[in-house]
Amino acid sequence: MGITRLELVNYRIFERGLLEPDPHGTTVLVGLNGTGKTSVLEAIGYLATARSFRGATREHLIRQGIEDAYLHATVERHDRPSTVNAQISRMAPARMTVNHQPVRTRRDLADVLAVTTFAPEDINVVRGGPAGRRDVLDDALVLLEPTAGGLLETVDRVLRQRNALLKQAKGRLTPEITSTLDVWDERLQAAGTSLITLRETLVDDLQDEVQRAYAALAGAPVRDERATMDYERSFSGDLGTALLANRDDDARRIRTGVGPHRDDLRLEINHRDARTEASQGEQRCLALALRLAIHQRVTARLGTPPVLLLDDVFSELDPDRSRRLVNELPEGQTVITSAVPLPSNVTSATVVAIEDIGGGRHGSLRSI
Amino acid sequence: MYPGPLRNLIDEFARLPGIGPKNAARLAFFLLRTPRDEAERLSSAIREMKERTTFCPICCSVAEGGQLCPICADDRRDPSVICVVQDPRDLMVVERSGSFAGRYHVLHGGLSPLEGIGPEQLKIAELEARVQDGVVTEVILCTNPNVEGDTTALYLSRLLRPKVAKVTKIAAGVPVGGDLEYADEMTLGRALEGRRDLEA
Repeated sequence: MGITRLELVNYRIFERGLLEPDPHGTTVLVGLNGTGKTSVLEAIGYLATARSFRGATREHLIRQGIEDAYLHATVERHDRPSTVNAQISRMAPARMTVNHQPVRTRRDLADVLAVTTFAPEDINVVRGGPAGRRDVLDDALVLLEPTAGGLLETVDRVLRQRNALLKQAKGRLTPEITSTLDVWDERLQAAGTSLITLRETLVDDLQDEVQRAYAALAGAPVRDERATMDYERSFSGDLGTALLANRDDDARRIRTGVGPHRDDLRLEINHRDARTEASQGEQRCLALALRLAIHQRVTARLGTPPVLLLDDVFSELDPDRSRRLVNELPEGQTVITSAVPLPSNVTSATVVAIEDIGGGRHGSLRSI
Repeated sequence: MYPGPLRNLIDEFARLPGIGPKNAARLAFFLLRTPRDEAERLSSAIREMKERTTFCPICCSVAEGGQLCPICADDRRDPSVICVVQDPRDLMVVERSGSFAGRYHVLHGGLSPLEGIGPEQLKIAELEARVQDGVVTEVILCTNPNVEGDTTALYLSRLLRPKVAKVTKIAAGVPVGGDLEYADEMTLGRALEGRRDLEA
């Protein structure tokens, strides 16, 4: 799949912006810092996922003093065009349409436009807390597994209800509280166990490709640079039993101490914990390898590669790793922002300058 | 700013579910222009509804003047089957289907600790009392197919199983007369789980 036309209206600093990238090749956005290069990638990401990969809230996406921002994209897939539109409003949830029909789920959206994003912040997947690693797995599952979206919603809702009940209990597990807790726990066990099974299967499926991609990015044979992943449950044995065993503790602390929301994905390089014992370069490569492996599985599921978005990754990698990343890039449309010269092995690319008009308030894009 | 009485009415309308400040003002101005007797029909309808609507002492559905509801008062309804719903409106929906000849029980909500609703806030004790004498042989749980409704059904099934011969839950699945391709993944998944043998 590839975007042939992207129009931004009242989006961030753009009053109106137009980009017509090569749907099968690489497009590079160049320009000074603060001119909106990342915002353009963010807009593409928003159209594919209905959220900002920078974690921005709606009001930040709308140009100052304006009520609504609009994003319009024409996406080509197997030579057939589709349109994806987003209306982002200050007061109401964003409205997404595909071919002018409202979109129900992220999967529906992904069938028309999917993205894989590499951003400098990705290093936090390796270096940061478990939540970021769970999110990477869950975001992939939503695209790969039909039941994942519903399971995630159920787990989240049941957890919030269970924690509200614990709060009401005020530390005292009366028979009334216990009998209601029993049913919430049974729900959490059912949905939570299904979710964990999906995650564990995904980790197994990704294992080989992460190892291969990591070794390729690190520039070493697989046997010398072994990256491994291990899904770590927050409990042992059966989730229902663990919830029961932790109940007193949960009631005291008013939180649910075991379950899919407390699990982690342990990442290792040569049997060392990548979170604490790897160099920054190693951590970046591992984060990229994980994204590349997921990209490959999503490509297989969709029958076409998602659009690759590379936000300023080359300024963070040394020249050797940058060149190896270029070699590892899969086929399909790629949109890159870069504040530094591109690696020498980028052979063909369309370069687009972001022109700055009126002190950054009226940016526009122009193909050259 | 509007004069006091008009403002009060707008504020009252704005407290109703689904009514925002603009709609509230629209309704109030509509009534302002309406002839007096028509506007008073509305106020007396509200007053009578509050005065005369009661809850059926058996099934907890809505009834009039402390009487039994029309269904509990109807001898032809099968007393051995109880269909449990969350809301009187759900009762009307099941009733409209014309597929159920038993009795009902209205819970007035579903378990939701986030909204402060536990078993004590629902008409569950009343339901337990109804199944004590052994007349009831089946309880059909007809709760909403969402997290709260499903959890309420699970709670009731645990509570009632020792006391009632059969506790069932309505099937979830694909709308009749629709196309399979329009069913979402969750619904179709549940429909597949709830599949059953075709009788030869």
